[in-house]
Amino acid sequence: MSETLLRVRGLQRSVGPVQILRGIDLDVMAGEAIGVIGPSGSGKSSLLRCIAGLDPLNAGDVMVAGKPAIPGDGAIGMVFQQFNLWPHLSARENVALALRLVRRMSARDADAKAEAALARVGLAALVARKPGALSGGQQQRVAIARTLAMEPRVLLFDEPTAALDPELTTEVLDVIRDLARAGTTMLVVSHEMGFVASLASRVVFLDHGLVVQAGSPADIFSGTAEPRIRTFLQTYLSRVAWTQGGV
Amino acid sequence: MIQALLDSVAAAALGLPVTLAIWLAAVLAGMALGFVVGGFRFFLPTAVVWPLVAVVEVVRGTPFLVQCFLLYFGGPFVGIDLSPTMAGFVALSVYGAAYFSEVFRGGFLAVPRGQLEAARMLGLTRPQTVMRIMLPAMALGVLPSLANLWVILIKETAVLSIITVPELTFRVQGVGSATFAFAETTLILAIAYWGLTELTAWAARGTERRIARALAA
Repeated sequence: MSETLLRVRGLQRSVGPVQILRGIDLDVMAGEAIGVIGPSGSGKSSLLRCIAGLDPLNAGDVMVAGKPAIPGDGAIGMVFQQFNLWPHLSARENVALALRLVRRMSARDADAKAEAALARVGLAALVARKPGALSGGQQQRVAIARTLAMEPRVLLFDEPTAALDPELTTEVLDVIRDLARAGTTMLVVSHEMGFVASLASRVVFLDHGLVVQAGSPADIFSGTAEPRIRTFLQTYLSRVAWTQGGV
Repeated sequence: MIQALLDSVAAAALGLPVTLAIWLAAVLAGMALGFVVGGFRFFLPTAVVWPLVAVVEVVRGTPFLVQCFLLYFGGPFVGIDLSPTMAGFVALSVYGAAYFSEVFRGGFLAVPRGQLEAARMLGLTRPQTVMRIMLPAMALGVLPSLANLWVILIKETAVLSIITVPELTFRVQGVGSATFAFAETTLILAIAYWGLTELTAWAARGTERRIARALAA
């Protein structure tokens, strides 16, 4: 638990004149689950994409286990809001493809490992289905299995349930929570506050490209004196209350 | 008149294999070249690929007839001395490649970015991503445009008669010049080309169905 696995220093990113991230420092220990929350446009997704190496940095650096992270080197796995499965391949093939092409596993070994990964996310019975024949929640679980099978050191979840119908979010959140309990090092960007509170060992609140506060879920969700966080949480809670009042 | 028709059919039978061979070879070479050019234009920065863009623009912006003349009659001045058939094959391949490259570039552009980012995060190389992810993803979408070009290229083979390639038009027109039965020979020509293009369209529809089935299964 004491090893710093992911180290972010002075991370800045601009698109044209707009500064999206204005100097982020973050240390993630092995086995930690970090929840990243904040208003829309605060830079949450950009932070994950910069850590993943999908977006270029304007300043700062990202190190995984002491080495600069390069997309595709296997250190970082990413689960996307839109799943990004390959539609012409079955669930099994989606998971097995990189095992075969990148890990150079035999077709049989790759299939076996893919099926094990799919079983872990509760999809053992649906391995032969193509994404088009799966629900959104099932598709996202295939995407998680696909990332998991490559055994990355750090998993990034970019709003993994934002594209799902409300009744399908639970099955995905349960899978992510199980992974966190099993000691998977992860950063999760999510608007599901209850989920973040129950999952995260630490919560980072981002606003206008800066970390406003980082602390335990209790620090952030109930103990904070930071007005921006209080406003954000009140807005969120009133929306939930309105939803529940409306039911 | 019957004699002219029969002579035309006989001439067509001689020219047809040449037309088909040049067309098939040019379609395959043109698609391969066009795929590579389209891929370069999609993946590489403009600063690197602008010479390719220029060539595509020139080929698309000049008549095929002029290109044939330039290659066949102008080629020897710069050391490119090709037989009529070879010149026809090269000209048709390059002409087709310019159009095929645009079709493939459109196909590359239509693949959702997220699918490529997923491939990149998982460590797939660019060629692996192209062959395993992009090609299947765009296959169905580009097929109608490809089939359209196959048909256009069949008809463009007629231009090769000008540089004395012994293909369909050249052979049948020979009958016309010898007998002055231009109406009969032209009729046979039209029927022959129409038959060829229908055949191509039919094959394309079959391929489309097969790809659709493979993608859905």
